[in-house]
Amino acid sequence: MTAMWFERAAASGKDQDQAAARSLEDLIAAASRGDERAFAELYDQTSARVYGMVLRVIRDAAQAAEVTQDIYLEVWRQSTRFDSGKGAVLPWLLMIAHRRAVDRVRAAQSSMVRDDKYAVLNEERPYDSVSEQVQTSLDAQRVRKVLQDLTPAQREAVSLAYFGGYTHSEVAQLLKIPLGTVKTRIRDGLIRMRDALGVMA
Amino acid sequence: MTDELNVLAGAYALDALDPDERQLFEVHLRTCAECADEVRGMRNAAAELSHLTEVPAPPQLRGSVLGAIAQSRQLPPLLDDPRSGRVLPLRRGGGSRPFWQGLAAACALIAIAVSGWGYAQHRDAQRAAGVQASAVQSLLQAPDVVATTTAMKQGQGTVIYSKIEHKLVLIGHGMPVLGANQTYQLWMMPKNGKPVSGGLFRPDRAGNVEVPASGDLDGVGQMGVSLEPAGGSAQPTPATVQVLKL
Repeated sequence: MTAMWFERAAASGKDQDQAAARSLEDLIAAASRGDERAFAELYDQTSARVYGMVLRVIRDAAQAAEVTQDIYLEVWRQSTRFDSGKGAVLPWLLMIAHRRAVDRVRAAQSSMVRDDKYAVLNEERPYDSVSEQVQTSLDAQRVRKVLQDLTPAQREAVSLAYFGGYTHSEVAQLLKIPLGTVKTRIRDGLIRMRDALGVMA
Repeated sequence: MTDELNVLAGAYALDALDPDERQLFEVHLRTCAECADEVRGMRNAAAELSHLTEVPAPPQLRGSVLGAIAQSRQLPPLLDDPRSGRVLPLRRGGGSRPFWQGLAAACALIAIAVSGWGYAQHRDAQRAAGVQASAVQSLLQAPDVVATTTAMKQGQGTVIYSKIEHKLVLIGHGMPVLGANQTYQLWMMPKNGKPVSGGLFRPDRAGNVEVPASGDLDGVGQMGVSLEPAGGSAQPTPATVQVLKL
């Protein structure tokens, strides 16, 4: 089975070399039919986004690599069930990735108290630390600008949840505010981001 | 109920809900197109955040990922179901039929009737997702539905129940996985009188379990989970009982 697909993938790969990068939608569709080469291309197009986010949440490079491998394995297995009618590939992939990353930190957390709460709150703001990096892609600039347009309270709640991997109850505890307030801040912040980024459903 | 759940959309989109809340909200999403749309838009926005943390993956990771997928079989596609909702990646069956009807078709039915309480527990060795979901879903539509979560020695248990409908579902997370000679047993613990068995269950390899059961809950003060020899016991082994408050 694998050998057959490999031959077929190799044959179609020749044509691809001259063609422009295929869309993620095309790649996942090909991958769902067993095309490993298409999956490799999907990996090449998305792994920096996935690995970087996972690394930010988990903080440990070795674990982040391990979780990233699990994520792509899950994406491969689930590719047969991806439904383009329900949304684009990248948000779907990043959803799987983020969930895996937070599951990992929360599993670790249940056996030991996480020691980085202080760091997250006081030492660095995820978006600030990111902005100090040399990397300034146009996309990153656009997202950073949208984040700056949130209220500081919304930005903090969204960042702690997304980059910190904290549950909303933990965010409430960290910020010493009621859970209901956190729910509202996260929701309002995301709605504002969604509208500003023009990424309607 | 719906308004209360609506506000969870943001936290859900950021994976910031606790496991039992996540499960509740996913059930809600199956029937609430408005929330499903909202979540999709928020997820798209959240995905954009990953532009800020972009870092090339370690070069050797590519080879190990491609090696791993070459040895892994893909899941079979889900068959089209005209009744299925829009945000329902794993649902197989329709959501509106009575849950016992689905159970009769798909599950091994274990009825344990003790002292006239008539608790019947239904379970499926393969944990038929659609059936379990419809048990939770049918419960969530009860006017008096209540969910309570209790931390156990290891893991946590959430009981979703309706006294009017005489139904409950126990959702357990992070429970220790058992050997072949042991089982967990669910107990209804009346305020007055002896505990009554609600049936036997085993968590999956990840320590998760969903146990639907039915029976009259009036007068039941709390639930219990005990560790028993395979086959269960007539009364819970006291040292192993963990209480789940209702």
